[in-house]
Amino acid sequence: MSKRLLPADASIFLILIGVALTFELLGWLVMGQSFIFNTRRLPIIVLQVAVIGIIAIGVTQVIITGGIDLSSGSVAALSGMVAASFAQAAGGSSMYFAGLADLPTIVPLVVGIAVGCAAGWVNGAITAYTGVPPFIPTLGMMVSARGLAVLYNNGNPVIGLTDGFTALGAGATPIVIFAVVALLFHIVLTRTLYGRRTYAVGSNAEAARTSGINVKAHKVLVYTIAGGLAGLAGVVMTARATMAQPGMGLMYELDAISAAVIGGTSLFGGRGRVSGTVIGVLILGVITSGFTFLRIDFYYQEVAKGLIILAAVIADRYRQGVKFGMR
Amino acid sequence: MSNITQNQSSPLPRETGIFLVLIGVALVFEAAGWMIHGQSFVFNTQRLYIIVLQMAIIGIMAVGLTQIIVMAGIDLSGGSVVAFAGLVAASLAQASSAGEAVYPSLTDLPIIVPLLIGLAIGAALGFVNGSIIAITGIPPFIATLAILVIARGLARWYTSGKQVSFFTPEFAVFGSGATPVWIFLGVVIVFHVLMTRTLYGRRTYAIGSNERAARMAGVNVGRHKVLVYSIAGLLYGLAAVIQTSRAETAQSGTGLMWELDAISAVVIGGTSLMGGIGRIPGTVIGVLILGVLTSGFTFLGINVFYIAIVKGVIVVAAVVADQYRHRNKRGK
Repeated sequence: MSKRLLPADASIFLILIGVALTFELLGWLVMGQSFIFNTRRLPIIVLQVAVIGIIAIGVTQVIITGGIDLSSGSVAALSGMVAASFAQAAGGSSMYFAGLADLPTIVPLVVGIAVGCAAGWVNGAITAYTGVPPFIPTLGMMVSARGLAVLYNNGNPVIGLTDGFTALGAGATPIVIFAVVALLFHIVLTRTLYGRRTYAVGSNAEAARTSGINVKAHKVLVYTIAGGLAGLAGVVMTARATMAQPGMGLMYELDAISAAVIGGTSLFGGRGRVSGTVIGVLILGVITSGFTFLRIDFYYQEVAKGLIILAAVIADRYRQGVKFGMR
Repeated sequence: MSNITQNQSSPLPRETGIFLVLIGVALVFEAAGWMIHGQSFVFNTQRLYIIVLQMAIIGIMAVGLTQIIVMAGIDLSGGSVVAFAGLVAASLAQASSAGEAVYPSLTDLPIIVPLLIGLAIGAALGFVNGSIIAITGIPPFIATLAILVIARGLARWYTSGKQVSFFTPEFAVFGSGATPVWIFLGVVIVFHVLMTRTLYGRRTYAIGSNERAARMAGVNVGRHKVLVYSIAGLLYGLAAVIQTSRAETAQSGTGLMWELDAISAVVIGGTSLMGGIGRIPGTVIGVLILGVLTSGFTFLGINVFYIAIVKGVIVVAAVVADQYRHRNKRGK
């Protein structure tokens, strides 16, 4: 692995270039204009992927431990709703907490992340301590968190947010947040004990246990961090839309899982990199944006997304299969 | 194979435990009913009828899903498959009097056509699920999650999100009166017999108990998986036709999250997600428990959003309980 001349993510980076060039070519052929060299399209792609990207970095860590998290989109919605209720400006017509207006931005930010962490902790605790397949508790959380998000304000959006809060989603801020999160967790996963333990748990839980890692506690930690990142994504999404809606983030978990798997993270655990996930998110963003650019129906996009995740997982299966065969 | 005979020395049928849970849940709502509303929850023939009718459609899906889970698989695509199969069946069930028929030249067809098409679409999607899982060996929840998204996308694409209605009067037969309940009962009996008395059932349990041993014993595991997923898909298609006929309309949003209800029913009914263990009668009781819970919450006037949360909790609790049951078994 270390003797390779190219970095591990070179091949998926080439795929990203290839996908972008395909749309560029189609752009000239079909629409008579450039797809990439459009100063308005590029920032939109990156903004769209920032929110999914923040979620995907958490999901990547969960998948590296051999787990899965289907609850991210719902958790982001719930976190966004709760955060927004702490971010309302004074004088609004529909205050959630009448006495809590114009709080400093740090309060809703921390509250949103905390709600996400709490949901992630529940996911992790059930998965680690009962040993049920992780897709079940996180599927339960997907439904429950969505129900809570709807219930939180009786199905209504939370509006009238402070300027300080909406600044978290304005302009290029989401991209900056995404970049910081990506860099931070790239370092954490490659250079720290936390990272080594995460890979160890996913590669061989039994061996990790024997070598003294508290596997259950570590899984809870990883799911909690993933939940916190989903919460952060919910805050950014809410700030960007300048309101929180219970229906936001629907099926984002699927995009996040796709991005991680496209980026080379293996659903069988033990394998994956944040840098790969970043490229995976960009590939998804380019495809979504390219479909819209070519005016391809929204309905086909959904079908295409399903096919993409299927293709990525099958490709991963054969990659791992070949590797197992050589051992 | 040992799992089938394992518990037969016990004097009570295996479903006694969950049957008592069903009675208990009903009694709790009965007590709450007298205390809060001053009326009976259970002794209301109209309510009982509605519970059974509501649950017949989920029940038909759950019978298919039971077989998949017994085989140690899972299927998250059920609700979306119901939506797509229902829409396609609906488009071939329209009366010529419909203002904007999907296929203006294909109206007033005999009802066998939409029925067969609905079943075929369901079986085809189940076949795709099974083939992907059997051939590539990727985890079933991911394969069927992808089909969940794809089938929902196909349902939206099929009529560009528009709903389909104005069916021939004959098409109403599948959903009118107690017909869904009779169809559900028929499905239950057929598959109970198939699972307990035939080679098909023995192979399903064998793969779920120990896939490698089943392969050694000469079972064509891949082909059997495709068969079981296809049969489950067929049952989703049947559920779709009944739902469409009963609702007198089909839309792309139908069946959202029904797979979760079906999984809950199966797991509450004692089928293990680890495979090899589970019976159709258990699933029937699981479906009834779910129906009583939903109906009971509505009866007590509890917000519908709470029901979603409670359902999420129930499915997790049922799976966790199953996990501990097995841990104890292994401990012995």
